[in-house]
Amino acid sequence: MILIVDDKQENLYSLKALLRLNLYEVDTATSGEEALKRILRNEYELIILDVQMPGMDGYEVAETITGYSRSKDIPIIFLSAVNIDKRFVTKGYASGGVDYITKPFDADILLLKVKTFTRLYRQTKELNDIKETLEQKVEERTKALVQANKELELSNAELQQYAFIASHDLQEPLRKIITFSRLVIERFLGGDPEALQYMNKVISSSERMRSLINDLLSYSHLAEPPRFNICNLNQLVQETMADLEVAIKEKEAVLHISHLPSIEAIPDQMRQLFQNLVSNALKFAKKDTPPVIKIWSELIDQRSLTAGISGKGAWCRIYISDNGIGFNEMYLDKIFHMFQRLHGKDEYHGTGIGLTIVKKIIQKHNGLISAESREGQGATFMLVLPLKQTAILETETQGL
Amino acid sequence: MLVDDDLDDTSLFEEVLQQVDPAVVFASAANGHEALAALREGTTRPDVIFLDLNMPRMDGRQCLAALKEDDTLKQIPVIMYTTSSQPKDVEQAMQKGAVSFITKPTSLKELQEILEAIAGNVHLDLHAALKTLRQTVPACVIC
Repeated sequence: MILIVDDKQENLYSLKALLRLNLYEVDTATSGEEALKRILRNEYELIILDVQMPGMDGYEVAETITGYSRSKDIPIIFLSAVNIDKRFVTKGYASGGVDYITKPFDADILLLKVKTFTRLYRQTKELNDIKETLEQKVEERTKALVQANKELELSNAELQQYAFIASHDLQEPLRKIITFSRLVIERFLGGDPEALQYMNKVISSSERMRSLINDLLSYSHLAEPPRFNICNLNQLVQETMADLEVAIKEKEAVLHISHLPSIEAIPDQMRQLFQNLVSNALKFAKKDTPPVIKIWSELIDQRSLTAGISGKGAWCRIYISDNGIGFNEMYLDKIFHMFQRLHGKDEYHGTGIGLTIVKKIIQKHNGLISAESREGQGATFMLVLPLKQTAILETETQGL
Repeated sequence: MLVDDDLDDTSLFEEVLQQVDPAVVFASAANGHEALAALREGTTRPDVIFLDLNMPRMDGRQCLAALKEDDTLKQIPVIMYTTSSQPKDVEQAMQKGAVSFITKPTSLKELQEILEAIAGNVHLDLHAALKTLRQTVPACVIC
């Protein structure tokens, strides 16, 4: 609907007739005050405004209209027979008009302008509506996401707690099974080899379950918030090897550890990582060949398993290689998954959690892990780790 | 003194202790509250306390803290004696003033070795005894 504002009835009448003839809906007001009242009540696509009126003049009316948020986008065309001087025209535009037409006017041109401005107004309004709907939708989605995230965090925390308690409480009865089975062996099974054999099966199964629970417990601990410290990997690897001393001697293994860097890491987790990888190398040794395990590293300047060596790089790539039984690389993805084992339980002991823990630790340290191997020809695990965790976080946020 | 809610563990512990040294006077409590009450009443004054972690009403962590806050009791050495071998539990107990952290063994032979090392040395040099214990019994996590 179009609003015409003019204090002279004859002007209103002729303009109204012209627009109606061209199928526009028209409303009229005979003063600025009346125009403002109508604008508050109705929705207009265009206002044609006389400049000179008793009371509020056209400029004042335009300024008031463009001051309301409800009406600020309605285009205003000034129409004047008296104020045709350039300064009046300029004032008209300054007070919020989109056009300034002087009388006498050409009816065709006025109609074309009316058509253009009403169309523009409609399009703007449609765009605004779309924008509003979009904003509303974005807001709704964001809210939903935040909520979903909260729920996820909560259930994640519950799950961790659950895993921890379950593992912890499973230990007690298991330890008793082992203790009392041993007691039975010691006190009552002196001369019965078959009974002894069965009881030993009870004990070894229980021991196996115990290591499973311990590994699960370690895995659930990994979800705690990280505390990074500078860690001298040389020293840390040496300490870890001391813990594995018995197994190393038993297998007559030879270890070559080259110089390793100091990196920002979680020391306990790093210790566990090397322990698991070296234990694996010992475990999957060839039956008749003493294991030779090598650990070495190089600096690289990007998070990549294949990037060339760079003396001043911010990343290090660590290799742990062995001469053991190896594995077929088609199983590469599988070996890092929980409870995946490539060998029978009787062939090689293990819980199938060791490499899953290693992978999780690498993820927590924003690193990469992979391995190269061929069956019967040893395996080499490659780890890529940042020297500094803080630097990584900064570059990541910049990247976003 | 052994503070443990598990009666099986308590009776095995007592049995092995009597074998190791029949002269030892053994006292037990089923949780932290009971232990503190007995100690404060003066019905028992142990040379060393073995403390389980996971107990109802007052667990080992709380009991350890209460013992170390009590001026009349804080001198008594406390050895954690529990199923857990988690580094976090060990670290926490050692920080709170335990002298050692022993994971409950799964054979009487190991238990016997532990008690032999400790029973004879409580008055002489408990720390040295705990140190040698680490070399013989894998159950002793940190000494």
